[in-house]
Amino acid sequence: MPVPERNEFFIDPNRCIGCNACVSACMECDTHRGYSMIQLDFIDRARSPQTVPVVCMHCDSPTCAEVCPADAIKRTGDGVVQTASKPRCIACNNCVLACPFGIPKMHSEANLMMKCDMCYDRTSVGKKPMCASVCPSGALWFGTMEEIRRLRPRSRPVRTFRFGNQTITTKVWMMVPVDAPVDRVDVTDAMHEPTVGRSDAAADALLSGLWTAEGA
Amino acid sequence: MSAEVRRAIGWALLATTVLAVLIVVGSRSLDHFDAALVGYTFATLFAVFGITYRYAMWLQRPPTALYWRRGWQVFFRRAFVWHNLLRWPRHVIDDIALNRFIWARGRLRWLAHWLILWGCIVAGLITFPLVFGWLYFDTVAGRPGWYRTVVFGFPTISFPADSLFAFLVFHGLVWSAFLVIGGVMVAMRRRMRDGGAAAVQSFAQDMMPLIVLFAISITGLLLTASYTWMEGYAYQFLAILHAVTVIFGLLWLPFGKFFHIFQRPAQLGVRFYKEVGVLSDPARCRRCGHAFTSRMKVEDLIETERRLGYAYEIPGNAAGHYQWICPRCRRALLALAQGRLWHGSRGAAAPPHPMPEFGNPGMGEGPLGAEDAANFHP
Amino acid sequence: MTTAPTPLYRTIDRFGPHLVYPTGARLDAGVEPDRVVKTHCCFCGQQCGLQLVVKDEVVIGVEPWMEFPFNRGMLCPKGVNRYLQSAHPDRLLTSFARDDAAPGGFRPIAYEEAIGRVASEIERIQSTYGRDAFAVLSGASITNEKAYLIGKFAHMCLRIANIDYNGRLCMVSAAAANKMAFGVDRSANPWTDMLGAEVIFIAGSNVAECSPITTSYIWQARERGAKVIVVDPRITPIARTCDVFLPVKPGRDAALFNGILHLMIEHDWLDHDFIERWTVGFEDVAAYAKEWTPRRTAEVTGIAEDRIREAAELWGTAKTSFMLHARGIEHHSNGVQNVLGAINLVLASGRIGREGCGYGTITGQGNGQGGREHGQKADQLPGARDLADPQHRAYVAGVWGIEPDDLPQPGADAYTIIRKIDDGEVRGLLTISFNPLVSLPDADFVRRMLEKLEFYVAIDFFLNETARHADIVLPGSLQEEDEGTVTQVEGRVIKINQAVRPPGDARQDWRIIQDIARALGRERGFTFRSPREIFDELREASKGGVADYSGITYEKIERHFGVFWPCPVEEHPGTPRLFEPGSWNPVARGAGPFYFPDGKARFNVARYEPPAEDVDEEFPVILTTGRVITQYLSGTQTRRIGPLVDFYPEPRVEMHPQLAERYGITDGDWVAVESRRGRVTLRAQVVRTIRPDTVFVPYHWAGRKSVNLLTNPALDPISKIPAFKVCAVRLRRVEAPPAEEAPPPVDAPQ
Repeated sequence: MPVPERNEFFIDPNRCIGCNACVSACMECDTHRGYSMIQLDFIDRARSPQTVPVVCMHCDSPTCAEVCPADAIKRTGDGVVQTASKPRCIACNNCVLACPFGIPKMHSEANLMMKCDMCYDRTSVGKKPMCASVCPSGALWFGTMEEIRRLRPRSRPVRTFRFGNQTITTKVWMMVPVDAPVDRVDVTDAMHEPTVGRSDAAADALLSGLWTAEGA
Repeated sequence: MSAEVRRAIGWALLATTVLAVLIVVGSRSLDHFDAALVGYTFATLFAVFGITYRYAMWLQRPPTALYWRRGWQVFFRRAFVWHNLLRWPRHVIDDIALNRFIWARGRLRWLAHWLILWGCIVAGLITFPLVFGWLYFDTVAGRPGWYRTVVFGFPTISFPADSLFAFLVFHGLVWSAFLVIGGVMVAMRRRMRDGGAAAVQSFAQDMMPLIVLFAISITGLLLTASYTWMEGYAYQFLAILHAVTVIFGLLWLPFGKFFHIFQRPAQLGVRFYKEVGVLSDPARCRRCGHAFTSRMKVEDLIETERRLGYAYEIPGNAAGHYQWICPRCRRALLALAQGRLWHGSRGAAAPPHPMPEFGNPGMGEGPLGAEDAANFHP
Repeated sequence: MTTAPTPLYRTIDRFGPHLVYPTGARLDAGVEPDRVVKTHCCFCGQQCGLQLVVKDEVVIGVEPWMEFPFNRGMLCPKGVNRYLQSAHPDRLLTSFARDDAAPGGFRPIAYEEAIGRVASEIERIQSTYGRDAFAVLSGASITNEKAYLIGKFAHMCLRIANIDYNGRLCMVSAAAANKMAFGVDRSANPWTDMLGAEVIFIAGSNVAECSPITTSYIWQARERGAKVIVVDPRITPIARTCDVFLPVKPGRDAALFNGILHLMIEHDWLDHDFIERWTVGFEDVAAYAKEWTPRRTAEVTGIAEDRIREAAELWGTAKTSFMLHARGIEHHSNGVQNVLGAINLVLASGRIGREGCGYGTITGQGNGQGGREHGQKADQLPGARDLADPQHRAYVAGVWGIEPDDLPQPGADAYTIIRKIDDGEVRGLLTISFNPLVSLPDADFVRRMLEKLEFYVAIDFFLNETARHADIVLPGSLQEEDEGTVTQVEGRVIKINQAVRPPGDARQDWRIIQDIARALGRERGFTFRSPREIFDELREASKGGVADYSGITYEKIERHFGVFWPCPVEEHPGTPRLFEPGSWNPVARGAGPFYFPDGKARFNVARYEPPAEDVDEEFPVILTTGRVITQYLSGTQTRRIGPLVDFYPEPRVEMHPQLAERYGITDGDWVAVESRRGRVTLRAQVVRTIRPDTVFVPYHWAGRKSVNLLTNPALDPISKIPAFKVCAVRLRRVEAPPAEEAPPPVDAPQ
């Protein structure tokens, strides 16, 4: 019997072009037709077109599930953290606020948290999740470990994240440079970057590329 | 045996005992207790034990315990108690009587749930008092053809046996069975043809409850049919069959999907918690400065996470704890942290700045509610 | 009588644009589809493969087509949402005649009556004022079959010179320069050649928003070590992470390319062997580039000198490379020169015609490539043949069974046709798949010209803004309602499959064209019964031409996921990569890989000229225009699709904080942008991702939000492309859009 292919989800937010294809595609999934579970943010539109799409990272020990007072969030045997169970979710927002990745969305009117469940309806019948199928930049990608190693020799997947003292391991992989001297992504470290006190011009990729009479 | 389990067993025993005492008292020392229904009674007592046990276990989970405690505190907090008292009837009507939130999840889903809900409520209101001997109908002395309703041993209203009212009351279980069967049909249809539902449902969680409800209703209807039109044909057999389905349903209450009946009212507590949260001190994101929830909520979550063994404290950073960063900034930080690793090999990443915004402004995060648009999660 | 009906809101109320969202069967996850049709997206020249899900003759959803090799399931939000245009409430279901008494200004009339009126008006105008008093303006979002048929209709049935298409606003600078340098006009390489490139040079292309799937090729190449150079006045998403970013001042691209060539010559980063063996004219180009010292280049282009040096070194020393460009360098009064400058860099490096060595211009419209090959362009006959060439005329006349002399001579370009209305030279017009009121520069002038027409017939599926001026509107077909072929960005001919029937009385465009020919009593040559029959004639007509389709069949396309032209015989596998050493073409006939009799490519001096309209004291700011990802061209389709509109609801004027500060503008303020031709009032978007001397406004909107009220109709002297990408404006902060510009109340009393 052939060994079944083991598909994994890989994300590389740095590739994102902010096109919203994933957001649109997410709405086409059968389990939540018309609702997108993906949130796409401009990190700082005034200075950069950088965007970040987020799908659920599917933590090994999901904070969202553990803080849920209604026991509404379940993790399947293969590591997928599912969207809230409809009979149980009481819309308390604990998961929305506790998730270190900022993933769950609260559908207030319906008293229901909805989050990415890795397109259970598609992956369970051998299809790729809708968002990862359409993503034109490869920021969201679904396939086997062998494929990604072959396609992205300069990248390396990691799935350990650091938030202050807390280490979180996830099912979804994030791409870092192959030679990056790290085995985890330290998220809270990015908070240490100074947000004030640097001159705008020095930080401004565009202005530094302009010709000026003085600079000549 | 852990302390939690001991405590839960204690509560369960207490609840079961209280019910048993009430049955004795309510039926006037079992005077009006129908011995034929003893199977139902014991199943109910078992169900009460199981439900109370599970509920007590559930309440002892750190997040639930905190919500439970805080929910009552918030409800009775002096500044809000009148507000809360005025609001709660509306919440009960919206959430429980009308199931408005299910309407928002889907029309068919709402129809199914609402029919089943009211079918079950009506059936429960009739069945349990009858079984416990709390309710029975007596003839009225001096007024032939009239019935008197006796509740908990106290006589109440009387009515003629051939009135429409009597017809409606005596066939209450028939009406409730029709409601439940209708609801089950709608739910079954949805579950069988909806591709999305088909992908995520399971037999035990989603199909079994429908089958049980259907079995209870249909056997009950057969009983009525048997004594109304068929001169009691196979009545004994049908009575046993009906009893078996009902008892199975009762015994299953604490374990399966039906347990949500008891969990669900917690949503009312959440409503008050949220309303008070909106009116009280907001928590401002320690990165972007925007209010994203209430202070109370953040502090409660920090406490819950601590009890669960999480350590989102950030040493050496003014933010202190990751819980003080809003979800939007968390998403931005994730990308920035990854971007830092690529810095140099993929050109310049954007400098961080404390103001991420939704990449789909026109959508206003609309489909998922205004709450997400403001990103305020009280 | 061709003014637009008033009041406008009533026309909008009746004909849209209205927004549609998924509802009903489109939201019901339980619907079992009738069929799933493999076809392509109708938006943009990438022509991504996708599958349309059909229920009850309505497209209800989209499913990625993972096997199609170009995009392997990838789509942008336009592709994901495109299905919503099917069964749209604005859809034209009958023919309409202009009637002020009717709701919205148009009265439904019977199809045959409408065709009869069109024919009699054509007859009248042509017999009264001469044949060329009637003009046809077509589009490049239609299939090759339709493009071919419309060219044939104009040239053989109407026998007019004045036929042109909206590729005039899109591809013509690149096409002209490609023909001048290579002798053929097509992307020289399949996109897979990008994967082997050490350097990818992207000039004037917001790849992420205008050709999103190309992004994945660039990222894949970067994973293999490719460096990316981006030339753009804005930090676009692809520029954000690039290796060398050249923030060029709009309209100065030729200067930049000459500056880079100057450095290549100075450092001898040249492929002398290639230049000597396979090119002509390097000396003149080198002599001209000598003037373009880094200092002068920096002064003119506004790019820091060291950045130019960096880019030149990266490009000059690479072993393999891919040059990509798009409208950013082409939409200029010197657009052809800009493109020639880019091509000179490729030829000087000798990196073309090999694996990993490529050049391509990114087509913008759905059939941007095929639409410019088969005879709906003013100077052209099928197979990319020239209307002016006696041999070409004779061949095509033979296929059509007419005398070569019966063919008209080359006619005017699209904008000149509009100008000809002014002096009465053109009095009747037919448009199809073209919305000139939104897409041409100086929109107010275009509107006045439309009002001067004696007769105007529009064929379209929605009542677009131009068609509001029509006397007769004929209900055409959406892309999913017809079959045919399209030639996408790489030169790959692909097959569009019919998913649904045209609704109501709407019908396939080729049938409408043939019905007009029949009503004119000239149906010979217009009796095709299917797109396949048209394609078979197209194959014959293109045989032996540069764009030779004769070996392509529908079946072959389906079998191989598309066939690259030229494909001269059925056994031929198609030609993914042009100019390979030793390759044969019908012009060089073995003399060399390029499409000239001597087989050699041509260096052309890319002379820099400042933009036709430069900034001055009165109008001190440069305005440039472009696309956003969620809209397509004039928005006739995409402004009707709710989710797409929601992502980017209305145009904003993008400006740098330094510029904003000068005018006291903050983010979100209303800003009046004025040029010599008009004014628009839009909200400001203040961002550090654009040059401080430039503002940007996307062009997809109509009426008072149309940035083409401002743009300059100056045309490139060779390609006749309008200078959309640069004109001079001034800015003023205003409290609100002027009262008369407020949108009309939706529920105004009757």
